[in-house]
Amino acid sequence: MRLLPIVLSLLLLGSLAVQAQPGEHIVLTGGPALRFMEHGKDASHDFYWFNFVDASTIWLNQIKSTAAPGDLITWLVYKPAYVSRSNELGLNLVAQIVDKARALNVNLLFFDTKDQLINYLNKGQDRGRMKIVSFDYFGHSNKACFLFDYSNTIDTMSICFLHVIDLKHIHGRDFARNAVCKSWGCHSGELYSKWWKDEFDVAMTGAVGKTDFSHGGLPALSDANCRWSQ
Amino acid sequence: MRAWIGFLLAAALALAVPAGARAQLAGDTSLTAPPVAPPLKKGSPLDHLTNDPKLDQLPIGYSEGQTGGVPFFVAHRAVDTDGGMGWGWVRKSDDDWSDGRWIALQEQPGLAVAPFRKLKTRDGDDNWEFKFWGHYAAYKAYDPHLDELLPVFVLQGYQVIGPAAPLNRLVGPPDRPHSRGSNASSRPGSPIETNHNID
Repeated sequence: MRLLPIVLSLLLLGSLAVQAQPGEHIVLTGGPALRFMEHGKDASHDFYWFNFVDASTIWLNQIKSTAAPGDLITWLVYKPAYVSRSNELGLNLVAQIVDKARALNVNLLFFDTKDQLINYLNKGQDRGRMKIVSFDYFGHSNKACFLFDYSNTIDTMSICFLHVIDLKHIHGRDFARNAVCKSWGCHSGELYSKWWKDEFDVAMTGAVGKTDFSHGGLPALSDANCRWSQ
Repeated sequence: MRAWIGFLLAAALALAVPAGARAQLAGDTSLTAPPVAPPLKKGSPLDHLTNDPKLDQLPIGYSEGQTGGVPFFVAHRAVDTDGGMGWGWVRKSDDDWSDGRWIALQEQPGLAVAPFRKLKTRDGDDNWEFKFWGHYAAYKAYDPHLDELLPVFVLQGYQVIGPAAPLNRLVGPPDRPHSRGSNASSRPGSPIETNHNID
């Protein structure tokens, strides 16, 4: 009986050590459509080119205020969509993203392909030591897919995406057991969250229904019929 | 002993704080009005698309982009009645329609864009045929409406042939399960069944 407090305190110290280990917060940002592709549609997307970027930077700022000392904050951005939207707008959006990351003092990484993204998640850090403790996605999606490119290269379609079928290429050991994950895109809670949980044994909050980025700031559920789910 | 239990409880509460803090974060949306877009660049593809007058139908023989030379492709526009966003059929000029492929059309604004961009409606060229110049991309396009992967034809130029009879083929890629009910998946191993919303 006298040993019980010692055993309990050793267990507690062990759990504190696990908790104290630095982790990585990942914010993943997809790209906007081209206005050329969306012009004249009833449901026309991305009038504002930085709807996903602005939401991401707000969230990154909030992560910074709560991240544990030593945690790494990484912002992954799908670059080609911002290059082409830059050309359409006559603005250098990529440079603006770099400036925003610098101002936030977060680790910015651009990716061009799904393979680059998966490679970073699996091998970008020593996942034995640096687990992903939070993951947030801002971008287009349907219930089965994160669409990093959407209506940017091809009207209403995607050439860079992460389908639920692709999740098997991401290692479950990349994530901390208590990682907090959320997709801020549309419909993820209808299917993606389930596949995410099945694949990584980590819950992902996702929307049942649509989310609305059009008002600036963090997206909100589109209407009263929508809800967050895991 | 009580002191130890109290210490353990306090430590457990401390460990629970991050999740609570994150829940609070989600409530702060920091709404700000998006900035206004700069004016359209004069002569840009978007300027033309927005301001050029739209036609009821395409002029026969009209061409756009890099045309001429062989090989070329013959293209048959077909609006996807299943709700997909594929453009239509494309075959090599010396092939039959049975060899045609259901494609996603990659436009190149500033060089050659889909013929319907000149029309008042997006389906105004349904069952029209064209000569296409271009090539197939190494990648495929994902159609989020039907959870399908389509071959991508990169358009470099086209010439209008004119209206044609509908092809005696079902629209969509060959693996689309036309013969199955609405609970069928459109891709082998695909999880999507119905309601292919995207935003």
